[in-house]
Amino acid sequence: MPGALREKLSAAVGPANVLTGIELSPYVVEGRTPDAAVFPGSIDEVAAVVGLAANEGVPVTPWGGGAAASVGMPAARAGLVLGLRRMSRLLEHEPADLTATVEAGMTMGAFQAALGGRGQWMSLDPADADRATVGGVLATNAFGPRRHLYGAARDLLIGVTVVTADGAVVRGGGKVVKNVAGYDLPKLFVGSYGTLGVIVEATVKLRPLPDHEQLQAVRFERLKDTGVAVKAIMGSDLIPSAIELLDAAAASSAGLAADTPAGGAVLVVGFDGPREQVAWQCAELARILVPLGGQQTRTLEAEAWSRLAAAPGTARPATAAVMTFSVVPSLVAETMDRGAGIARARGLHSAWAAHAGVGAVRAVLASDAAPHEPAAIATVLGEWREMARAGGGHATLAWAPLAVKSRIPVWDDPGAAGRIMQRIKSQLDPGNILNPGRFIAGI
Amino acid sequence: MATLTDSRKRELRRELETIVGPDAVLSDPDELLVYESDGLTLFRALADFVVFPTSTEHVSAVVKLANRERLPFVARGAGTGLSGGCLPAEGGVVISLMRMNRVLEVDYDNQLAVVEPGLVNLHLSWKVGPRGYYYAPDPSSQQACTIGGNIANNSGGPHTLKYGVTTNHVLGLQVVMPDGEIVWLGGRTRDAQGYDLAGVFVGSEGTFGIATKIVVRILKKPQAVKTVLAVFDQIDRASAAVSAVIARGLVPAAMEMIDHLTIQAVEDAFNCGYPRDADAALLIELDGLAVGMEGQLERIVEACRDAGARETRTAKSESERQLLWKGRKSAFGAYGRVSPAYMVMDGVIPRTKLPYVLSRVNEIVAAHGLRVGNVFHAGDGNLHPNILYDPRKPGEEERVVAAGAEIMKVCAEVGGSISGEHGIGLEKSDFMPFIFSAADLTLMQRLKNAFNPTGLCNPGKIFPTKKSCVEVGPVAYRPHAIEEKGLAQRF
Ligand SMILES: Cc1cc2nc3c(=O)[nH]c(=O)nc-3n(C[C@H](O)[C@H](O)[C@H](O)COP(=O)(O)OP(=O)(O)OC[C@H]3O[C@@H](n4cnc5c(N)ncnc54)[C@H](O)[C@@H]3O)c2cc1C
Repeated sequence: MPGALREKLSAAVGPANVLTGIELSPYVVEGRTPDAAVFPGSIDEVAAVVGLAANEGVPVTPWGGGAAASVGMPAARAGLVLGLRRMSRLLEHEPADLTATVEAGMTMGAFQAALGGRGQWMSLDPADADRATVGGVLATNAFGPRRHLYGAARDLLIGVTVVTADGAVVRGGGKVVKNVAGYDLPKLFVGSYGTLGVIVEATVKLRPLPDHEQLQAVRFERLKDTGVAVKAIMGSDLIPSAIELLDAAAASSAGLAADTPAGGAVLVVGFDGPREQVAWQCAELARILVPLGGQQTRTLEAEAWSRLAAAPGTARPATAAVMTFSVVPSLVAETMDRGAGIARARGLHSAWAAHAGVGAVRAVLASDAAPHEPAAIATVLGEWREMARAGGGHATLAWAPLAVKSRIPVWDDPGAAGRIMQRIKSQLDPGNILNPGRFIAGI
Repeated sequence: MATLTDSRKRELRRELETIVGPDAVLSDPDELLVYESDGLTLFRALADFVVFPTSTEHVSAVVKLANRERLPFVARGAGTGLSGGCLPAEGGVVISLMRMNRVLEVDYDNQLAVVEPGLVNLHLSWKVGPRGYYYAPDPSSQQACTIGGNIANNSGGPHTLKYGVTTNHVLGLQVVMPDGEIVWLGGRTRDAQGYDLAGVFVGSEGTFGIATKIVVRILKKPQAVKTVLAVFDQIDRASAAVSAVIARGLVPAAMEMIDHLTIQAVEDAFNCGYPRDADAALLIELDGLAVGMEGQLERIVEACRDAGARETRTAKSESERQLLWKGRKSAFGAYGRVSPAYMVMDGVIPRTKLPYVLSRVNEIVAAHGLRVGNVFHAGDGNLHPNILYDPRKPGEEERVVAAGAEIMKVCAEVGGSISGEHGIGLEKSDFMPFIFSAADLTLMQRLKNAFNPTGLCNPGKIFPTKKSCVEVGPVAYRPHAIEEKGLAQRF
């Protein structure tokens, strides 16, 4: 990095907020060290930093809590990490409007705690809430079990402020829950992985905290049988907040049902609302599931949510790769069952968990002993991806060592839509400085 | 835009006929008149051609021809839009999707349907109703408007409060891009790969291309529904009740406000049993599980009482429920009896600003010597002031338009928006700077460039511009055909 740039950055954000050299170790991704990490304290400072980087053609990596820092391909060129940790205030919370405006660097955990103090929450429950920031969760479209009833980031974000690649401050959407003025910019930035702009503020819809909540865990002898069970729940009058499906390996590592037989599964169904509705639904659930092979229903405490959100993240000691799938809900159980078989056939272990009602599946691939050959890992991942595609879905390599990533693309081929994405990228970031090369279609 | 010579027009007509068939092209000025405006009859513009494709390939071929000829083109659904969105530029091609109106597939296991864009909104709910499902977004025009138009405008309805607007129910779209290329944005799964292009397309008002297939979610019908009318002696108390219900952690399916003038008009015309002397009423609907519903209803009634409701009436049967909704839904027809014409405004404000904004609306309209009836989606803060006027009186329509602009300014000042569901179209493009900065608009323009670089696809909409190509009032108000038939009302 040119010394002159460092001086200008120090002038923009204060010398204490520019890290270089040995201080950069927390920001090393896949062995690559950025030139500097810069921590602006205001929107204007973010704009100044991006403007300086743009002038020099230096890449910028927006950084929330670093929870998803290794998702995607690593930056092709070194550059600046732009950390948002100093921008972590709750700016506005009007309970009667069911909306809040928050700085992007606030952690989800802190945000939810502040809202919860006034009886509300942002109905999004991704893993790692104490580390992941609101901006990072939006930029990666992270979600958790209760997406089933309450939707994803795209359904909750009503306004967004971003600093674009030219250092301009742009606002999209607004502060009202219903709004069709102009293009829906919040949708553009959700899941854009910091490639179109730096999210600095967000306005989201809130919900009241439920009066009462209960999670029911039901064991099945065979994973295969759970497809019918999920379908029966979805076709019933029940209004579950979540339908989680875990295979035996994922269930035992999440501490849910250590006694689940290999080849078996645990279905966790959540309900919330007035107490009598929750009670009625729990009884109805048992009535539906018992004839379908559901056994040993147990009630879980609410703290199980965070373990479900992270499942099967910690399932195996020697994790070789993590893949996420988006498939239609009716194919979830089959995807898990067949996917585990594909891994087994190559002598590898896997653990699977899904937000079954929304078709979001997550798998961990692992070997017990010595790390496996990257080629063998990549072969399994390739077969998994083919399986997802055959069912009209797609798969993303959420985590793997570089040796694996260089053999199988992180992102699936988006087809003709990829060209539109590239056009959007070149319109919004013509100098290609925001997370260059990290995202889909070479973006 | 250069005007086409008659002989060139004949040649192009023949070419269009070879694409879509001889019975699917209009170019006779008399026939084109039907397509010169939408539900907002203030604006009018004549196209050179209207075509009625029946397949994605037809649409693509027509779009490619238009590109070759540098002719502007615009998609049109039922033409019920209220912001001039589907108006042609002066000249060019209107692509009507009304013959592409099939339900292509219903996948009950995955709770989705694949439909063509010209399908009438309500027809989807009819199709899936027998299996216990429905399509949630319910604009009041749902007996006529198309899913394609709904996608373009990101339409809402009374039940938006709980279930969200169109965008929350769209999974994917097949689109003919402005250059004629056929592309899928999103698909059948909840998440697409990469940028959320389907999410960006919804609400783009026909400027990003033409949707030719749409994958939407369908929902299970709720087990039970309860409807209650809360009556107030002061409209401010009704506004306070809206916030009070929310503050108690209750999320009704719908929460609609009907003001004094509207109640009078509705009672004069239809006798729905609303108390005539009330200053305002809130129509509140709950849906969901049958068990526990009574308890929730009690909490809502209590919140209304505490906010100052003088009485609450709960529908005891489906027919009583329908009667309560009739009061809400027949407001338009009722205005027609007390005024020769009216114009509906569409703005959004934070719920907590309702009392202030409603009083400002009344002041503004009164200052212009006009009357206003308010009937709107109070739970969402989505206002619909209906300004009553007489188009035959010189200058009155201009005063309505001026009052409308002032109301939009007030919405903007309190942190709201200039449209909750009707869109910007031609009508409000010059109001965009009320809520967006130059930088905001530049980014939107860049996004548009990525989809529609030539600008031939639905030109002149959304962005601030001189309305030179289009005839602007004074034009007598004409009700939309579906209103005349009494099928719908304007909100
Ligand atoms: C009586 C009445 C009541 C109404 N009530 C409501 C209401 O409650 N809520 C609400 O939100 N709106 C309401 N509206 C407004 C209107 O009905 C909606 O905006 C509706 O979605 C328009 O659908 P349409 O098929 O008539 O579209 P059109 O008016 O034909 O077109 C609207 C826009 O969609 C574009 N378009 C149409 N088809 C396509 C396609 N296939 N691909 C891309 N773009 C396309 C057009 O170019 C245009 O920009 C009402 C209108 C009337 C007249």
